[in-house]
Amino acid sequence: MAATVVAHLELDRPRCEGHGLCEEAAPDLMHLDDEGELVLDVTDISEQDLEAARTAVRVCPVAALKLA
Amino acid sequence: MTAMHPLPSPRVGAPGRIVIVGHGIAGLTAGDTLRREGFSGELTVIGQEPHDPYSRPALSKAMLGDLSTPSPGVVTEVEAQYLAAPSADATVHAGRSAVGLDPEARTVLLDDGGVLAYDGLVIASGARARCFTDSPDEYTLRGLDDARALRQRLADRPAVTVIGGGPLGMEVASAAREAGCEVTLVHRGQPMRRHVGDVLAGLCTSAARDRGLHLVDASVTRVRRDAPAGGLDIELSTGGTLRAEVVVSAIGDDPNDEWLADSGLLTDGRLLIDDWGVVAPGVVAAGDVAWRRSGPGIQRRALWTDAIEQAKVAAAALLHGRSASPVSYAPYFWTEQFGLNLRICGEVPAEVTPTVVDGDLAESRAVLQWEGPTQGGAAAAVNFRIPIPKLRRLARPAPAAA
Ligand SMILES: Cc1cc2nc3c(=O)[nH]c(=O)nc-3n(C[C@H](O)[C@H](O)[C@H](O)COP(=O)(O)OP(=O)(O)OC[C@H]3O[C@@H](n4cnc5c(N)ncnc54)[C@H](O)[C@@H]3O)c2cc1C
Ligand code: SF4
Repeated sequence: MAATVVAHLELDRPRCEGHGLCEEAAPDLMHLDDEGELVLDVTDISEQDLEAARTAVRVCPVAALKLA
Repeated sequence: MTAMHPLPSPRVGAPGRIVIVGHGIAGLTAGDTLRREGFSGELTVIGQEPHDPYSRPALSKAMLGDLSTPSPGVVTEVEAQYLAAPSADATVHAGRSAVGLDPEARTVLLDDGGVLAYDGLVIASGARARCFTDSPDEYTLRGLDDARALRQRLADRPAVTVIGGGPLGMEVASAAREAGCEVTLVHRGQPMRRHVGDVLAGLCTSAARDRGLHLVDASVTRVRRDAPAGGLDIELSTGGTLRAEVVVSAIGDDPNDEWLADSGLLTDGRLLIDDWGVVAPGVVAAGDVAWRRSGPGIQRRALWTDAIEQAKVAAAALLHGRSASPVSYAPYFWTEQFGLNLRICGEVPAEVTPTVVDGDLAESRAVLQWEGPTQGGAAAAVNFRIPIPKLRRLARPAPAAA
């Protein structure tokens, strides 16, 4: 059974500056591609991924990620 | 060195109470990490500033950008920089300060007379800006209120004199120029050199001059209020005096450690952490407030990623003691000024000329690499979009075959 989704991860792409600190915090959820653009690999966040997602949101210095 | 007694691990015993002093990025990251590591006890965060958490680096960048008064309903740059709320299930006392600490009794004293008992304490009270005077014409930039006040003043397009040519001074000077102010920057030697080395500092300085920044090569010995006329007199090491309408001082910061003065935890007036962020049994620290041993000396690296990495390690050590991993990360730093966007991994050796890996420095768009002595080198992206993990790899080139 798929894990219950407790939140959605959103990226405000124009704000993102590609610092990649979020990737370091949550490498299973997102990565920077070869052009330095952030790719969200997981946007439906389960309870299990919630703390990692929160940490990724936290470390972004331009507040480009949001959990809703 | 004091032995570290870890708190009872949440898996084996009573969860206990953890108090975090400071709700900047270090305090918030520590809170997140504690929960992530399974801490299920009481978490209390004390934060002097009454505001919700926000991004401090943005204060001197995006937040000083567009100075027009926002239309109602439009999300302002200031609002857009708010960060996520403190960690789940934390009690947050915003607008409260810690004024004392008794590490024997394990209590924190608050400014309203309250006493908080803890089993574990995270000290993350950050730092504050230095200044010369208490004049309303002298500004510093450390918190959200400072940024709001400076924005408002810049909107009148005064002539601005910035004191200090580090990243903060240069970012403010850049924003003030962008806003249409006459801007003079006073700094002894080449601005930015200490932070980014000769080559990049040269690039920053010429970009600044091209955009109309007046540079004065001197150090400031004193700033005097000129009461009747308003404004300030800046006395220079070179003998002259500069008259200024508005001064922005960007001359460094002092750690917020006064509340620890009687705690017995300061060493020669400094809050020293080890590689786990440990200060004393049950007490860890992280971020701008903390000094760390580095080779023969000690240093305080007051930067965003340092605060984050130190906070992660410190929170884990509070729960698991020194069986947790010690701090280990490559420095990362960025700045935006005078049309230049710099990202730097590693520590740039000031006098070494970098190799241009991609792009062209003459066009201010390049990827640079420095061969470092022992701990690897450094790499920088100048107006160049590159995945930061790739930049990190460039900063740590594979060791040459013996
Ligand atoms: C304008 C500006 C721009 C910057 N730009 C960059 C950049 O581009 N890149 C970069 O890497 N770094 C940058 N930095 C540095 C970076 O922002 C800091 O290193 C980082 O924010 C430090 O986090 P901290 O949590 O340790 O401290 P702080 O963010 O200072 O947080 C400490 C908190 O503790 C509170 N506090 C203080 N004393 C007490 C007390 N006694 N009781 C309770 N609460 C207390 C304070 O009010 C504050 O909210 C910049 C800093 C400034 C000021
Ligand atoms: S940390 Fe923020 S700016 Fe950096 S890549 Fe992630 S979302 Fe983008």
